[in-house]
Amino acid sequence: MSVVEFTDTEFMICQAARLLEDNKTIFIGWGIPQVVAILAERLYTPNIVQVFEFGAIGPQCRTPFLRGTMGGPQNTYRSLQWCSMSLAFSYAQAGYIDYGMLGAAQIDKYGNINSTMIGENYEQPKKRFPGSGGGNEVASYCWKTIIVMSHESRRFVERCDFITSPGHMINGKDREEFGLPRNAGPWRVITSKGMFDFDEKTKQMRLIGVLRGLSIEEVVSEMSFKPLIANDVIELEPPNREELKVLREEIDPYGLIITKGKKIKMKV
Amino acid sequence: MASGMIEILDRGKAEIHFVSPDDFREFVKNKKNRGLRNKLMEEKEAVKKFVSNGDYIAYDFSSLTRGPQSLLREIIRQEKRRLWVCAKFTLYESALLVGGGCADKIDVGFIGWIPYLLGEAEKGRVKLYEWSNGSLTYRLLAGAMGIPFIPARDLLGTDIIKHSGTIIIKDPFSEIPVALLPALNPDVSIIHVQEADIYGNARVYGPTVATLETAMASKKVIISAERIIETIEFRKNPNMTIIPYYLVDAVVHAPFGAYPGGTQGYYEMDAEHYLKLTSITTEDEMQKYLEDYVYSVDSHEEFLDKRVGISKLNELVRKAEILEGFR
Repeated sequence: MSVVEFTDTEFMICQAARLLEDNKTIFIGWGIPQVVAILAERLYTPNIVQVFEFGAIGPQCRTPFLRGTMGGPQNTYRSLQWCSMSLAFSYAQAGYIDYGMLGAAQIDKYGNINSTMIGENYEQPKKRFPGSGGGNEVASYCWKTIIVMSHESRRFVERCDFITSPGHMINGKDREEFGLPRNAGPWRVITSKGMFDFDEKTKQMRLIGVLRGLSIEEVVSEMSFKPLIANDVIELEPPNREELKVLREEIDPYGLIITKGKKIKMKV
Repeated sequence: MASGMIEILDRGKAEIHFVSPDDFREFVKNKKNRGLRNKLMEEKEAVKKFVSNGDYIAYDFSSLTRGPQSLLREIIRQEKRRLWVCAKFTLYESALLVGGGCADKIDVGFIGWIPYLLGEAEKGRVKLYEWSNGSLTYRLLAGAMGIPFIPARDLLGTDIIKHSGTIIIKDPFSEIPVALLPALNPDVSIIHVQEADIYGNARVYGPTVATLETAMASKKVIISAERIIETIEFRKNPNMTIIPYYLVDAVVHAPFGAYPGGTQGYYEMDAEHYLKLTSITTEDEMQKYLEDYVYSVDSHEEFLDKRVGISKLNELVRKAEILEGFR
């Protein structure tokens, strides 16, 4: 028996990394998804092909990861291909990209994402965000989109104030009715406390896993809507030593990303 | 639905910058010279000649990598007004242009996290139109192709549509809804490259974002280059020519032209300066930044000399250790 200490951000990153599949393509958003992909590549999925909107296909990103280096030499190192943004998105639109991974400021129970603004009136936002970026395309085009985000009530809402990127249902209509690609969309939501999928029938977000030591109630109570709850909610392992070593020593030694969030101490 | 009619299902209400393909062709025919002319000039002259008040402006790559930052500062220094900015894949350019009083409309792909600009948007002091990085890039692609719009499957189902100029139709081929993105032909684009010749042939190394599309779709194009090279270099390796000279109006020799961002193969970004930019919150802080780094110097050269300094520049050059693929 020993004690492991970690932040809930580290948990979220590790849990997302464990989900990825080797020999698949994955469209990577800015920030945490970049860290997840590097961790997965180092430990679990050595042949994963990362795809970036600015036009890098399959880079073997150099570490340490520096926030904000998107598009620079570190982040495009030894790519298979450098190309344009329209080509990178076209790979996804044509179906070549298996996974997408994004962060989100706000999400609703159908997996719609808001990266634009908070408030009831678009013209007078209470809070303005930077906008879609490439998030809309990732969520629209990739076969399975994974959303990685911090678990807070204000982020999990009944309906997004502004839908920037599409989930499964919008205003009561299935995404395909809007012309979005068939059989694609949000697949998992990984938070600092748990993991969700989307119920096939109702298309609603469903809790399928909680971080060890947390109860279902503790997770659900910090959401502004009631998610569905799977019959067998699994216990999610805390980050293991190997994951933490790679994260802390190799990927983010300056703690730019992984030190954020709540600190957790756990016996393992 | 009447047979033979294409059905419009939805349409955005936002104002768009749109040039009809024939008007663009006319412009290209009459105003873009295919002659091999020496277009090398100082940044001051290039911006004076080719950026006008009220222009729609686009630029390529990002704030951190190969962005046209010296040209951007010159635009602010010359106090251009009423610009409409294509903010695809950007972090701080829109903030500086708004802070400098140069821009009042932004097509949002991504406008970055600078609290100053987000605050201005919250106060309604700048007009935003919603798009996405992908849709703006596809719009530039359509503009480059000389077609009026491009169909795509992004933006569908979202609130972006009504705050953009997108039209949704039932596609007559597949019979499912599809987004029509209007072509985008900027009045002017500014693009930083690693290498150009004096006529405007240009190369970039690394991912391109929309280098060619942006140049090809724009009425006026200003290139700034780390290095000016001989034309024969392009003929020796034509695969690497991203922009042919006849798209270009002005070439500016601008070493460290992407500073405080980096340029692949030359120098890394200046993380400290970047932090300074991203922490600008208030009007006072913005004006102080602009005074310190833009208005109080006369040129990019003076900026490098007096505001950055040779030891910082050398440090950034040393940090650019990864050269593979960039030379």
